[in-house]
Amino acid sequence: MSITEVQFEAREAADGQSIANIEGRSQWQLTWRRLRSDKVSMIALAVIIIMVLLAITAPVFAAITHHPPNVAFPNTGENAVGLPVGPFTNGFWLGSDGTGRDLFIRILYGARISLFVGVVTTFIAACLGVSIGLMAGYFGGIIDTLLARLTDAVLAFPYVVLAIALAAVFGPSLTIIMAIITFFSWAGIARIVRGQTLSIKEKEYIEAARSIGAGPFRIMFLDILPNLMAPVLVVATLYIPAAVVFEATLSFLSLGIQPPTASWGNILSEATNFYQTSWWYVVFPALALLITTLAFNLLGDGIRDAMDPRTERILAARRMRRQRKRRRRATAALTGPTKDFPDPARQAPGI
Amino acid sequence: MADDDDVLVRVENLVKYFPVKAGGFIRHTVGQVHAVDDVSLIIERGKTLGLVGETGSGKSTLARCVAGLIPVTSGQVIFDGRDITKLSRGAMRPLRREVQMIFQDPYSSLNPRRRVGSIIGEPFAVHGIATGTERKRRVQELMERVGLNPEHYNRFPAEFSGGQRQRIGVARALALRPKLIICDEPVSALDVSIQAQVLNLLADLQTEYGLSYLFIAHDLEVVRHVSDKVAVMYLGRVGEAAPKEQLYETPRHPYTVALLSAAPAADPDTAAARQRVILTGDVPSPIDPPPGCRFHRRCPKAQPLCATDEPKLLPEGVSAVAEITAVVGQDIHLTACHFPVAVGENLATAARAREPA
Repeated sequence: MSITEVQFEAREAADGQSIANIEGRSQWQLTWRRLRSDKVSMIALAVIIIMVLLAITAPVFAAITHHPPNVAFPNTGENAVGLPVGPFTNGFWLGSDGTGRDLFIRILYGARISLFVGVVTTFIAACLGVSIGLMAGYFGGIIDTLLARLTDAVLAFPYVVLAIALAAVFGPSLTIIMAIITFFSWAGIARIVRGQTLSIKEKEYIEAARSIGAGPFRIMFLDILPNLMAPVLVVATLYIPAAVVFEATLSFLSLGIQPPTASWGNILSEATNFYQTSWWYVVFPALALLITTLAFNLLGDGIRDAMDPRTERILAARRMRRQRKRRRRATAALTGPTKDFPDPARQAPGI
Repeated sequence: MADDDDVLVRVENLVKYFPVKAGGFIRHTVGQVHAVDDVSLIIERGKTLGLVGETGSGKSTLARCVAGLIPVTSGQVIFDGRDITKLSRGAMRPLRREVQMIFQDPYSSLNPRRRVGSIIGEPFAVHGIATGTERKRRVQELMERVGLNPEHYNRFPAEFSGGQRQRIGVARALALRPKLIICDEPVSALDVSIQAQVLNLLADLQTEYGLSYLFIAHDLEVVRHVSDKVAVMYLGRVGEAAPKEQLYETPRHPYTVALLSAAPAADPDTAAARQRVILTGDVPSPIDPPPGCRFHRRCPKAQPLCATDEPKLLPEGVSAVAEITAVVGQDIHLTACHFPVAVGENLATAARAREPA
């Protein structure tokens, strides 16, 4: 045992707590610690959690307001000329919609569809993309050529056009939308996973696993996959808002969720007839969409930064720069307006 | 001549070429890298065969062929009486328990995302030998045996030093109680003080479990320390092979002489007294190895014959036409050279004389 190792052990022995806590911190624990200190990510996460809670508790709000999502209230929900009523009128918190239904409740029910579609399609797409990317990268050769070309082909499709065509052919339904979104989402993940797999499979620990006798699927899922989780998680977080927007787009074009079932896309689509008279009808569902996608995107960025150990150093350097600037400004203020006053921290001793 | 029962591994006329591919859309083979070219050797039970040579001489490729990790181009690897080169992956599986590897880079040979217990326990999991607490107990036994703290079972490789990581690699190789461990430069990434610890550990394990080693290194002193027999490789061929004392004290191949003279000496007096043989030029491309003796373009003793006739690996004093039965790894000093270096001959002067003025 080298001297440093001995010292290390000695220090550990002195510090009784670390002897008890001999378990190493995993990558996820470290990431979480970094993520927690990032205010933007934490706010984004809080927004997402609130959104999810609101979506789950939508029936509770419906019960409180006595406004079921698909029931029109012509007496209270429409004014004298038959237009929607504004926010906080007649018990409609965010106003009513074109047929006198509660906009707030419909947005909450829309959130259920949007979040469900976003999360589930991204999850399925991630599983598909990871499997295809792993196989293409690990096996190489003809399998790689076939899978990689398939991936490129899917990525090269003008997906909006094709999605509209598919939805038109198969008839709009939740299953069809989710199938379409999944079909256009896996390829990006597959490409990232393939690239990572190509680099990881050259590592000696993969050869070590093979020399032990581990089979290809064991190596792919136990040795390579854990090393891929970070990029996959980041990409998946960024794909959720894309799927949410995709669903809204299709629903907006009435190729997605069909009325009277509420979805942010079809609410916005109906609202286009009323935007001149009832601003809330457009603004609130659009805001819900904006806030949700923004929160997912910011969280995704935050996770990416937290996974990259270099960012901690970048942040630390930025903090130090800021402190130095503040100190310089403070000294400048004390000594009057001398422009090129040297930084006391950098001044040589004795001068 | 070694008895067949004493031989654990017999490599016969092993050839490994890697195709060189070119072309963007339609890839085709434009050449072959002659990584290992017609190598025969034996590894005796409980003994260590050292393999030295510069980067690109084919040492690691040979090791991977013997371990059955890459398919051979031709030739045989007979492990315990069975040719392993033609086995399918399934048929190879039980054999994986007999041959294990220790890798060069202790940083890249351990999966950074897996805990140490899981890394060392992986052989048990793959072969379904022990599960649950039994696996944990056996892993901790192994950790203790290689000098690691068993309490560090749940740590990640990043939390260990280079030497400790290499001990993890040793524990993993030892888990299945193999007969042969192939050490591919196991200490070249470590500090000198740590090198000695790992080498001593390997030596202890050899006596304790009767292991055989195929030990690859480019550090001549390390190979001398651990090996019983040593083979020197150059461009995919064995240039010289002998029991270690003979190889180090009376080297006969000019390349071996040059290699030995290039190794740094710890004692400054020895270093000053030594005549260095400076080789000119680079190692030729293994895609297009030179005809005749592969070393002739850099050899201080080269003659016209060397450029045309390939020398065979022969014992001293035996002519090329004689029937040979000697194989690398036996107690015989073999040299593949038409004009071997005699004892006391000063190769350094010859080398200097060849240098262009």
